[in-house]
Amino acid sequence: MKWLRTFTSRLIGFFRKQQIERDLDSEVQSHLDMLIAENIWRGMTPEAARHAAKREFGGVELTKEEYREQRGLPLLDGWLQDVRFAVRMLGKRPGLTFASVLTLAIGMGANTAIFTAVHSVLLHSLPFPKADRLAIVWSVLGTEGRAPASGPELETLRQRSRLFEDLGAIWAQSGALTGEGEPEQVRLGMVTANFLGILGTNPQLGRLFEKVEQGSGAPRVMIISDGLWHRRFGADRRWIGQTVRLNGQSVTIIGVMPPGFRIIFPEGSSVPPEMDAYVPFRSNLASSPADQSYLRVIGRLRDGVTIAQAQQEMDTLAGQIRAEYNTFADPPLTLQVVSLQGDVVRNIRPALLALFGGAGLVLLIACVNVANLLLARANERTLEMALRTALGAGRGRLIRQLLTESVLVSCCGAVAALSFGWFALRLVLAMQPKEMERFSAIQMNPPVFAFTFAVAIVAGVPFGLAPAFGTRKLDLTRSLKDSRQTGTKNGRRQGNLLVISEVALGFVLLIGAGLMLRTFVRLLQVNPGFDATHVLTFRVSVASAKYHTDDAAVQFFRKLKENLSQLPGVEAAGVISHLPFDDTLPNWYGFYWREGASKHEQNTAMADFRSSLPGYFKSMGVTFVSGRDFDDHDVAENLHLAVIDDTVAQEAWPRQEALGKLINIENGNFVRDTAQVIGVVKHLQYHTLTNQVRAQIYLLYPQAIRAHMAVTLKSSANAQMLLPLIRQQVAALDKDLPIYHVQPMTDYVESARRQTRFVTLLAGIMGGIALLLACTGIYAVTMYSVLQRMREIGVRTALGAAPRQLFALVLRQSMLPIALGLLAGLVLSLLLTPLLSSLLFGVRPTDIPTFGVGALILSTAGLIACLLPARRATRVDPMIALRYE
Amino acid sequence: MAPPRGEVLQGTLDLIVLKTIEALGPLHGYGIAQRIQQVSEDLLHLNQGTLYPALLRLEQRGWISSKWGSSENNRKAKYYALTRTGRKQLLAETESWERMTALMTRLLGGAEGA
Repeated sequence: MKWLRTFTSRLIGFFRKQQIERDLDSEVQSHLDMLIAENIWRGMTPEAARHAAKREFGGVELTKEEYREQRGLPLLDGWLQDVRFAVRMLGKRPGLTFASVLTLAIGMGANTAIFTAVHSVLLHSLPFPKADRLAIVWSVLGTEGRAPASGPELETLRQRSRLFEDLGAIWAQSGALTGEGEPEQVRLGMVTANFLGILGTNPQLGRLFEKVEQGSGAPRVMIISDGLWHRRFGADRRWIGQTVRLNGQSVTIIGVMPPGFRIIFPEGSSVPPEMDAYVPFRSNLASSPADQSYLRVIGRLRDGVTIAQAQQEMDTLAGQIRAEYNTFADPPLTLQVVSLQGDVVRNIRPALLALFGGAGLVLLIACVNVANLLLARANERTLEMALRTALGAGRGRLIRQLLTESVLVSCCGAVAALSFGWFALRLVLAMQPKEMERFSAIQMNPPVFAFTFAVAIVAGVPFGLAPAFGTRKLDLTRSLKDSRQTGTKNGRRQGNLLVISEVALGFVLLIGAGLMLRTFVRLLQVNPGFDATHVLTFRVSVASAKYHTDDAAVQFFRKLKENLSQLPGVEAAGVISHLPFDDTLPNWYGFYWREGASKHEQNTAMADFRSSLPGYFKSMGVTFVSGRDFDDHDVAENLHLAVIDDTVAQEAWPRQEALGKLINIENGNFVRDTAQVIGVVKHLQYHTLTNQVRAQIYLLYPQAIRAHMAVTLKSSANAQMLLPLIRQQVAALDKDLPIYHVQPMTDYVESARRQTRFVTLLAGIMGGIALLLACTGIYAVTMYSVLQRMREIGVRTALGAAPRQLFALVLRQSMLPIALGLLAGLVLSLLLTPLLSSLLFGVRPTDIPTFGVGALILSTAGLIACLLPARRATRVDPMIALRYE
Repeated sequence: MAPPRGEVLQGTLDLIVLKTIEALGPLHGYGIAQRIQQVSEDLLHLNQGTLYPALLRLEQRGWISSKWGSSENNRKAKYYALTRTGRKQLLAETESWERMTALMTRLLGGAEGA
């Protein structure tokens, strides 16, 4: 602890410098006075007494200096001195300083913005208490790797698992809030009573569900979101315990979740993050049919249990379930445990990491540029360095000075980078893909600031050291004698090295951006199987008691469709249970087989079961391969009919006509049924643009009743104009039914392209910045070398070199490092681009056109960057050049 | 011929200063210098100025404390006093010094004897 005391005292000394200085002065003076007084008393003259006193005391200034060194923090003192000096030096060349700071701000700003996203999405844990304990359990059935579970499955897992504290499930639904005010369709999370407790977030008001509130006959209760509470209930606490009407039933509000609470489930799990309300399941899960799978299962692992251990336990339990339930024997059920955090980011992680890597490359290029600027300046300062060495500054002292300057520059860069990064982050957030929207808080916070400054310091050291090593072979006498600045071979080699690395790094970025661009273009070219232009969509739900009979629901949608087709400008109207690229409602899918298939052929292929009314295919511009759409007669007669896509036709009746054949399907109530194929359509990309997740089978609505339906309207009329008319038509049929999710179909298609668009745009921006930085770098290096070689060029001109020859000489010498850089970049790209393959579509990581165009762009840009310096070389006046200095 | 004047041994100045302050009570720098020269009977050559860094060092370690006061002749001077830890330190250092000198004496005496 002694050192601490000494340090504290020194620290105080450091800050109270002036007062201590005064103290020391008067203390020394009083000592001297006493000595003089004594000497006079001994009989000396005052003059002699003073001299004697000084002799006895020893060097006054020496003592003070020794005292000072011990008093404060000499290291800090020296460093502050360095900083003051550095500020003066940088202030002397404001243009150069500004260029360095700006370059670094761009490089680090890009990093700051991307790191903010990486930090919030990949590094930061999800906003649930002990979020690392949360795991999702997916059912694996045949080709279906991420299927939901059925009631008996969940109950079996809950009862027998020892490694999970608890397991629960959610099923996203939709419900109509009626009664006071406008009817409103709300997103409803049907949950097990323990679900919210497993996530670990407590309501801000009221309480969570209790066990008895789940199951048939339980009291109807509801927990609402903070958003709904504010929007519909005026944030009034008295609503707790009150009843509201949900889907025509009285339900008691028992709690309000805190603001910002969201269900963070992986993309594609059909669980949207924003729920308006939660209600417990009203069916008995344990005794519900084993083949009705709709539960998205989440569990909380006990402390210390790993995912691998939980997986082992689930393997055992899956074996037991297979043995106990026929349904899960063929294809055999297996269970997969994944951490919630890992599963949620699995799609976005490669994209973010690739962008992070790209931002790192941009920063490297920026650093090389700044190193180049500082290096050039270091050469100018050779004389200064030599002088300081001559005056006794050690090598370490000089390096410390250079480092201080470079770190100072990079810290200024960091401050600028934070503001630059703030804007860049706005851009990132404006374009963020759906996967990132699940994370509510993507913002700059202390870890981000720390990251930026750490980058600044780490970046500042190497480019500060580069000039330090550039001045390594400092020949004192030569430098002092020969103060003229001549282009040294050493300096040119360094310049070339910088150009090579800039071009190589820039090439990698350009290739990355190019590959993403090619992917994006491919995505734009993908034909999703339908024509989204001029298609307006919205949703209507008939979940209330009024539509308890199937007939009521059928009549409602039939009339609605009919009335809507009469609206001006409407060419076709359709009703469908699920829109392409819509992940807000559960997806209905299951096994299908041709009638008469043997037992072991039955559970092999799965398809989405869509429920529709006549007109959907026409409104979406879907191509019929053969056969026809449903018609009103089919609806009226309630026939068991199906339209299948070409994938199903191919799978069930290879090389045969599918029309007229019977197919075994699952209707709207999870009941198996047989339908006759009346039409075959082209496959629609329903899930992603890039791969076919499942085929589709379309059933006639009366045969497959669903509460939540979407309406598609193909119309040349403006949506703004159409909307009031639509509302009018819906209200005319039922004034209590809200319409919601009003969106042009193109928005859904757009959302499917969002992640690629996001990565492409950011990669493009980075590629552009890299190109710009590389060009500035090449220009600076070439121009500098021309200026350094003025005398040599002057001599050449004097000896008769034609301007054209000089022009060619400069170009030749500058294009060589660019060519070498391209070569290095090529090798580097071939090593790095395979890492991008998961982000690419329709283009190989080693796409030759991309590489060719990248090389062309970079070499052209490099050439342009060299033109100006080369022209400068041809304008050297030998008389001036030789007399230069 | 005057006896040879010794330089202050490295590391001993602290001990000398501590001992001096203990012996005379709170004292200013001039007083300490006078006292050392007096006791050593001018055998010790001391640049009086070197006292001050030593005093600062001791104060930073918390062994002495300082206060401005006025001297016998009404001159302003800084007075140094021993603190509790300083007293303990003096004891410990005296002991270790004595052990050291005893050892040196024995070693040198033994060499003479041989």
